[in-house]
This record gives sequence, C-alpha cells and structure tokens, in this order.
Amino acid sequence: MRIGFIGVGRMGQGMSARLLSGGHDLLVYNRTPGKTADLEKAGAKVAPTIADVCRDRELVISMVADDAALMDVTLAPDGVRDSLPKDAVYAAMGTHSATAIQTIAAALAKKGLTFVAAPVLGRPDAAAAGQIVIVSGGPADALKRCEPAFNTLGRKTMEASGAPEAAIAIKLANNFVLGCAVETMAEAFALVRKYGVNPQVFYDVMTEGLFAAPAYKVYGKLIVDASYDKPGFTVKLGLKDIKLALAAAELVGVPLPSGSVVRDRLIGAIAHGDGDKDWAVLGREQARASGLE
Amino acid sequence: MGRGMAQRILSGGHELRIHDVVRAAGEGLVSAGAQFADTVADACSGRDVVVTMLVEDAQVLDVAQRAGGLCDSLPKGAIHLAMGTYGVAAIRALGEAHAKAGQILVAAPVLGRPDLAASGQLGIVSGGPADAVARVAPLLDLMGRKTFHAGDMPESATAIKLANNMVLGCAMIAMAESFSLVRKFGVAPQLFYDVMTEGLFSSTAYKGYGKTMVDQTYDNVGSPITVGLKDANLIAAAADLGRVPMPMHNIYRDRLLGAVAHGDGDRDQAVLAREQARACGLDS
Repeated sequence: MRIGFIGVGRMGQGMSARLLSGGHDLLVYNRTPGKTADLEKAGAKVAPTIADVCRDRELVISMVADDAALMDVTLAPDGVRDSLPKDAVYAAMGTHSATAIQTIAAALAKKGLTFVAAPVLGRPDAAAAGQIVIVSGGPADALKRCEPAFNTLGRKTMEASGAPEAAIAIKLANNFVLGCAVETMAEAFALVRKYGVNPQVFYDVMTEGLFAAPAYKVYGKLIVDASYDKPGFTVKLGLKDIKLALAAAELVGVPLPSGSVVRDRLIGAIAHGDGDKDWAVLGREQARASGLE
Repeated sequence: MGRGMAQRILSGGHELRIHDVVRAAGEGLVSAGAQFADTVADACSGRDVVVTMLVEDAQVLDVAQRAGGLCDSLPKGAIHLAMGTYGVAAIRALGEAHAKAGQILVAAPVLGRPDLAASGQLGIVSGGPADAVARVAPLLDLMGRKTFHAGDMPESATAIKLANNMVLGCAMIAMAESFSLVRKFGVAPQLFYDVMTEGLFSSTAYKGYGKTMVDQTYDNVGSPITVGLKDANLIAAAADLGRVPMPMHNIYRDRLLGAVAHGDGDRDQAVLAREQARACGLDS
C-alpha cells in the first residue's frame, strides 16, 4: 500500500518499521525532524511537510501524542484536511479524546474525506514486533481498505462497527479497567500488609485464581517488588488517559465513580513527586494513605 | 459448601462426625459413612479437629462460645479449623476464646464455589501456628487443590480472603462502568468483552462475570448481591480495624446497596452492571 505516516515517536517508530518490512511504500513525517533518521536508513522516504506526506497516498496514518498535536497536523493550513487525496483514508491511531475525534470526523466529512479512528493496545515493544491490537471505528468500506496496513501492524484488528469515536470509547474503557485494577490491587495490598501478610503470598493467591491475567500479574509484581523506577506507562500518562475516559463519560452521561477515585490517587502520586514513575506506584500512594510509608 | 467438603474428608478415609441444625442436610453424608452428632458437644467430644463452615460471624461465635459449644467441648490441644468467610474481629475473638480453653484456632477460608468444594478443587488460605497448620494439612489437601499459608495469625488468612473478594468486587464495578461507557458510544457490549478478555484481562474473573453482564443472565445466581454485601461489610470492617482507607472498595459497597434498593438483592452480583446502567439512564 502507498502509506503516509505522521508522528514517529516511540510507538510510531516501531509501527513505521513494521510497515516498511511488510513491503509497503512508506513516506514518514515528524514535526521534530531528527526522529526520522533511523527509518530513513531502513529505507523510508522522509517527507518535509504534511502536504508531501499525504501526496498520492492510499492511506495516511497519524500517531501523535495528544489532542493538540492531532488537531494541529489535521486541521492547520496545509494539514491533512487540506492535503489528503480524495480517494485516500485518514486513520488516527493515537489515543485521543472522543471530542477531538468527533471534531475531526465532522471536519473531514465536510470536505468529503474518509476518516477512521484506530487506537492501539500495546506498548512500543509490541508495536515494533507487530503484536499490537488495533481497535478500529469508521465506515465499513474504509476499514476494509485499511486492512493490508493493519494486518502488518498488529496481531489482531477488532472493529467497533460504528462511528470513529466508538473505537476510542473501547480503548479508553480498556485503559480505565486497567487503572481500576491497579488502584484496587494497591488497596488490597495495603490491607493485607496491615494484617502481617507478606505481599507475595497475597499476590500468589490472587494471580493463581480469578486474576490469572497479565494486568494483575505484571502490575501486581511491580507493587510487590515496589519496582516503580523503570516506567512502562507513567503516572502522568495514566492521568491523561483516565481524564480522557472521564471526559468521554461526561459527554454521554455516564458516571464513572471508580474513575474518579483512580484520578484522585494519580493526582496524589504526582503531588508526592511520583509523576514520572510507573503508574503501579499507586501501590505506594495507597500505602502512604494508610500510614505504611 | 460444607456438604462437598465433608464428602471429600470422608473419601480420605477419616472418621467423620457431622452436625447441622437441619438434620436432613446430613442424610447423604450419613449414608456415605459419616456419623450424625445430635449436638455440637457430641460433634466435638474426643475429636482432634473440628471444622466449621458457617455463613456468618454471629453463627460461628455462637457455636464456639455458647454453653456446650466448641470451647466447652473440644479436648485440650484440639484444633478448630474455621473455614467460613468471617470478619477479622470475629476471628480474633475466636482465637482468644480458644486459647483460654487450651485449644488452637486455625482459620482457613476457601476460594471457590460449591462445585469446586465437591471436587476437592478449592483454593485454601491458612492462618495459624505452623505446627497446627501442619496437623490439618492432610484435611486441607483433600478439600483443596492448593493451600496458601498466610502466617501465624489466623486473621492474616482472613485478610487475604477478604482482599481477594474485594479485588473481584472492584473488577465487576470497573466492568460495569466500562460496559455503560461503550454502550453510550454505540458499541455492542460483546465487542468490548472481546477486546478486554483477549488482552490484559484474560482471566476467569473478567471472562465469567463479563459474560454474565453481556448476556444479562442475572437470574442464574452464583453469588448473590446480598452475600456480596455481607462480605463487603467484612472488608470495610477489616479496613477500619487496620486503618486502611479503601476508596475503590467504598464504591463497590455503595453499588451493592443500590442494587439491593432496586430489588436486585437476590440476583447474581454481575447485576452491578444493571445498577450502573440505571445510574447512566440506560434502560437495563
């Protein structure tokens, strides 16, 4: 496929490299030019502007850090809206707010352009290995046209069958469930510690039975070992995603009481200087609240 | 639960005496070779170990402390193996009462439902002096597939059991909130279920209760809301005693109360999804 890729940060690097090795014709663009060097060595062509990265493409992907960046690359003059070929698809693959996705969908629809949201589940190592899961939302024929690229990028694509923001809702809900699991474990570990239990024993009980899943095994272990300094996903990023979930929920009238608790604990962790630690540090934040540290 | 567990003990060749306030409940076990004791005192006399599997704190405290109860009737040095899910305060009170009477308390709450009890596949968490736990190990091995030793204090086992229940309750709440969120964005609940259980949450808790929420089969009751509320109150009490603020747990407890208030008290705990849907203005 002829693909344009905007945003080669940690996730975008791995995804672009996958597309290249999958034999696609790839143009890459990054607002900070230095980040494209490795990809260029691997055979990618670097486009100097967004207009260039869109030219003659069948698919343009953006993988940018936040809503502001997405709005900028998409809606600024000579951005994707002004540059996307009529018969191409634009896929936003970052984790964005439901509102931003709705805004962009409306703006592109006005110009007769085709837009899908396709947020991904998985970390940079999974992206580089083509092991991410893609949740896609948008017109069925547009999703079909993205398939060759998505099949190269991920191990599985799950179609939200609906508006682009439906895919966003799924992605945010899944991250929200993870935040709740981490905070729940934090509370449970504090409880058993106060009764003289070695946290490892509670970890064993929990992960042997009902909770034998990566979420509990990985984050439970980080809490047991108090190993917060090699962040896979930081408190600050966790707060960003939980706030996106709360905003999406407010938009459609869904109270998320558990989300509010997780948000408050994350803010507390930042206040105590743990903002750049892995968000498993909620274990410590809860221990503090219990007078344990 | 008690019936399946007693059956497992019998199958191990142990001499078993049983007691229940409802005599008929023991009939199957008697025909399998157990003796029925008419009173708690009879069930205790001359025993090495007495197992209790009762529903709540009040019952276990009564059966232990009343005249002719466990403390009066168990031989010195014998073990009370308390396997129900009881509160921390009750377990502490029991421990003290048995110590005074020269007996030993081992708490060994179980993880699992009646079908697992009948097949000897329970998870068991033991708490108590190591030598006493070693003495009951042959019984625990018959009843469970695995025993986790929590520590020398009986209430350490209670804390683990309650914490595990709390993690389950919060998982259900998180799912309930999430299903409502995605539904409002036009997503079929089954699809969110597939995304969630395919990745980070590929475990029994999410697969079992998540499926019940997707299918809304709340009348097929594994553990009802009222039992969840009982346990949630035990967790809140343990947190209070231990001085541990548990904000997520408070939300779980409040939603259980709401479900009872809306007439869903006897439905499966997965009905928390309907409770959350109500809070969002969704019909069911």
